[in-house]
Amino acid sequence: MFDRPSDPDAYVTLMASLPDSERLFVAKRPPLSRLRLDRRLKALAPEDAETLRLMEEALALRHYRLDTEDAEVTRRARRAMDHVTQPALRAILRDRMEIRTVIAALRRRRAGEAPPPPGWGHGRFSRRIIAHWAEPTFGLDPVFPWLREAHGLLEQDDALGFERLVLTVTERLMRRHGAGHDFDIEAVVIYVLTWNIYDRWARTNAEAASRRFNALAEAALAGHDAQLAKS
Amino acid sequence: MNELVLTLGWLGIYAPVALGAAASAIGCSIAGQASIGAMLETEGGYGRFVGISALPSTMVIYGIVIMFTLNREVTPANAGGLFGVGFMSAISLYYTGLWQGRACASAINAAKEKPEIFGLSLAPAAIIEGFAVFAFVFALVISAGIPS
Repeated sequence: MFDRPSDPDAYVTLMASLPDSERLFVAKRPPLSRLRLDRRLKALAPEDAETLRLMEEALALRHYRLDTEDAEVTRRARRAMDHVTQPALRAILRDRMEIRTVIAALRRRRAGEAPPPPGWGHGRFSRRIIAHWAEPTFGLDPVFPWLREAHGLLEQDDALGFERLVLTVTERLMRRHGAGHDFDIEAVVIYVLTWNIYDRWARTNAEAASRRFNALAEAALAGHDAQLAKS
Repeated sequence: MNELVLTLGWLGIYAPVALGAAASAIGCSIAGQASIGAMLETEGGYGRFVGISALPSTMVIYGIVIMFTLNREVTPANAGGLFGVGFMSAISLYYTGLWQGRACASAINAAKEKPEIFGLSLAPAAIIEGFAVFAFVFALVISAGIPS
């Protein structure tokens, strides 16, 4: 069942009809809406559409609510891992879940929580994280060189910077796994997952802009109120 | 035994056309699909995309020329030579056509984003064409040594 090679030319038309994923991050306006992307994705074979659905369900943050429990995350990851046969996609699933685990650990520790119980988290580093709970990077510097910066941003309460760092790291990971996949199902899934990162990136920027606007408006109104009070 | 040897001889004569045609069909199909996709995303330059899609069609032409060069009365003395030259050149044309199609598809995919790299993006496809020309030319040269 596993390690089934995929057809390298299965989705030539589909991939050629999508804007380059790097353009997603530099464009001022979104070059591709979700509606248009979904319309193009109708070209997927049913089996591949299911693969994409399960991968997105496990990895795309827009499919999670804030109160989604760890057990549900684990269930979705396992379901995707059971279904997906392409080695590159399985590696993406594993790596993304490991990144998510280490980020969750950073957040838990920042919130002052105790080390999680054994069996918590995904992938190869869960036990190491629990064993090195007190260390800033859980002793995982060689594996995740960005972890020290992430720890620093969390310590400074720079939520936006932290979010951007995580998105950048994830996007880099997707680009690395995408090498050698141009027109196959792996390329399609990687593109859609990258689109999700872009979507999250755009939302983060919009939220930051909104917060900045509100702060400026409040500052301006405060000055105005002070002048009114004087007069 | 002789019948088998003669059959292999005929296989060698026709293989370059058969596999050359298959290579051109597959290569043009892959590159053609990319050009159709690129047309959905771009506002112009469609002719260029279609032009690139036709590049792998040269494989069948090489195959036809090799077939005419090899075409002669097949005897037990020359069947082995005809099979070796014809079949191996056919395999070479098949793979160069297939991969040239993929290279063209990548060129189209890249050129739709950056029209300024259109010429440069064709370099891999042109290099692959060069390898097909090697197989073609040396098939003609070596076939001169096969007895009639």
